[in-house]
Amino acid sequence: MDPRPTILVVEDEPEIRRFLRSSLEAEGYRVAESATARRGVIDAGTHKPDVVIVDLGLPDFDGVEVVRQIRRWSTLPILILSARTQERAKIDAFEAGADDYVTKPFGIRELLARIKVALRHAARPQAGGAVLRFDRAVVDLERRTATRDEEALHLTPIEFRLLAALARHLGLVVTHRQLLVEVWGPSHAGDTHYLRIYVKQLRDKLEPDPLHPRHLVTEIGVGYRLVCSD
Amino acid sequence: MRTGWTGYAWAIGATLAATLAGFAMRGRFDLVNIAMVYLLAVVLVALYQSRGAAIAASVLCVAAFDVLFVPPEGTFTVHDAQYLLTFAIMLGVGLIVSRLVERVRRQAREQALLEIEAETERIRSALLASISHDLRTPLAVVAGASSTLVESGERMLPEARQALARSVFDQSHELSERVSKLLQMTRLDTGAIKVERDWTAMADVADSAVRRMSDRLAAHRLMVEIPADLPLVRVDAALIEQALGNLLENAAKHTPPGTIVRLRAKTDGQRLVLTVEDHGGDAADVDLERMFRKFQHGSMEGAAGGVGLGLAICRAIVRLHGGDCWAERTLGGGMTFRISLPLERPPEMPAETPYEAADGPATDDPRR
Repeated sequence: MDPRPTILVVEDEPEIRRFLRSSLEAEGYRVAESATARRGVIDAGTHKPDVVIVDLGLPDFDGVEVVRQIRRWSTLPILILSARTQERAKIDAFEAGADDYVTKPFGIRELLARIKVALRHAARPQAGGAVLRFDRAVVDLERRTATRDEEALHLTPIEFRLLAALARHLGLVVTHRQLLVEVWGPSHAGDTHYLRIYVKQLRDKLEPDPLHPRHLVTEIGVGYRLVCSD
Repeated sequence: MRTGWTGYAWAIGATLAATLAGFAMRGRFDLVNIAMVYLLAVVLVALYQSRGAAIAASVLCVAAFDVLFVPPEGTFTVHDAQYLLTFAIMLGVGLIVSRLVERVRRQAREQALLEIEAETERIRSALLASISHDLRTPLAVVAGASSTLVESGERMLPEARQALARSVFDQSHELSERVSKLLQMTRLDTGAIKVERDWTAMADVADSAVRRMSDRLAAHRLMVEIPADLPLVRVDAALIEQALGNLLENAAKHTPPGTIVRLRAKTDGQRLVLTVEDHGGDAADVDLERMFRKFQHGSMEGAAGGVGLGLAICRAIVRLHGGDCWAERTLGGGMTFRISLPLERPPEMPAETPYEAADGPATDDPRR
């Protein structure tokens, strides 16, 4: 059997499919293509891809719907391709279960980086028990301890829960709503101000330069992404 | 123009006022002077109200003058034929004035329409010029560089090949940016943009805008000053990020490399003000208002390029939020752009209960 990871590209524009195929194959991936949303949902079942890339603007039905249908039976990583003008659809896609996105036009380096993160995430899902390493701080989510420059660092239970929720999707985008529900519960799904305040607290404690965060990264209008080695 | 109830009310009111004045004047002034007061009433109604109201005022005034002042008083009977002339003149003046007013109003309306058409036309032709020039320039680079790669890429040095490929990449990004701006302006103009407000930390917005513009600002010295205790604002974060990004992009474009670009945020309790301050270029003869108009390329425009929509989009977005965006000259040269956003009281957030805090093993005591 072919050992190369398979990437399914659901995209109606043949030019973009062609460029993705040649770039991804050059990087050692096997590429399957679907030109319509309907086909994409079927191919995601038959090709058993390791990652699916879905364009949001598909002719027959919405890319968001493709994400929703695949999520009914699979947890495989889904990346979406969105245009700058599709902010709303992008958020809908995340709510439907997409893991990450790349904005068109994109450079291949950016896409490859996203694919790598997605594959790593798929290889060991629920890595939430790990130890998170920031530049100067280390957080052990399992033992619930934290240090900064070897000094003990006090994190509140909510701060631990927020970090854990982000760490479950390490390197991937987690929406505001998802974080609020996981940390504060479904009745607080709209209380974005909670999140703003706690993210700031965490940045102040963990980031070397809280004004230019490198680990707790803002995805404007969508959510946050935790970037760190574990 | 339609005659509303207010027009007729005015006619009645003016007649009553003139009549009161007439009673006060009776005995001391000639009848002809009282007629003048009625005439004034007719002229005033004709000036400020519709033609119908002017006619009504003429008729009412003539009737009131005749019945109350022209002997024999208390009747419509007129003994002296010269008062018939007074009536005719009063009616005539009323009609002429209301007609003149109507004409002036119509001309003003037509003028306004013409101005709107001229502005639309200016924007339309600027749009076409913009599409043909600002979009074709990056396209020409993309076509030229990529065709060179196809035709003679094999014979080129790897560095030269790399440079051409890089310019295809950069210019296509630039092209996409410009198309996005045209689309965004159109959507803002047609009201197709829905503002999705949510509590937002300005630090997040600034961080995102700075990251997005980092390539463009790479040659500048960017300084970000955002106080730690800045209150949250309820805005559409993605839109405000765009607005701020446009200001940063504008600063990067119009100032020489190596100069300082300062991004600051502060609050006076009522508003939150974001400031992008640059220290380059001669801003002495820049029109601080005009630069916010669509398709205005600043006077410092050289090879900077762009569609000239960045500032117009920025202002439109900020105004959608009930805020404002304006420009000032930086002391010692350069431009300062400010965005002000209204502040709202953020909802309360329960503090973590001591019980809950005690429940975690994390503690300030390193010995545990």
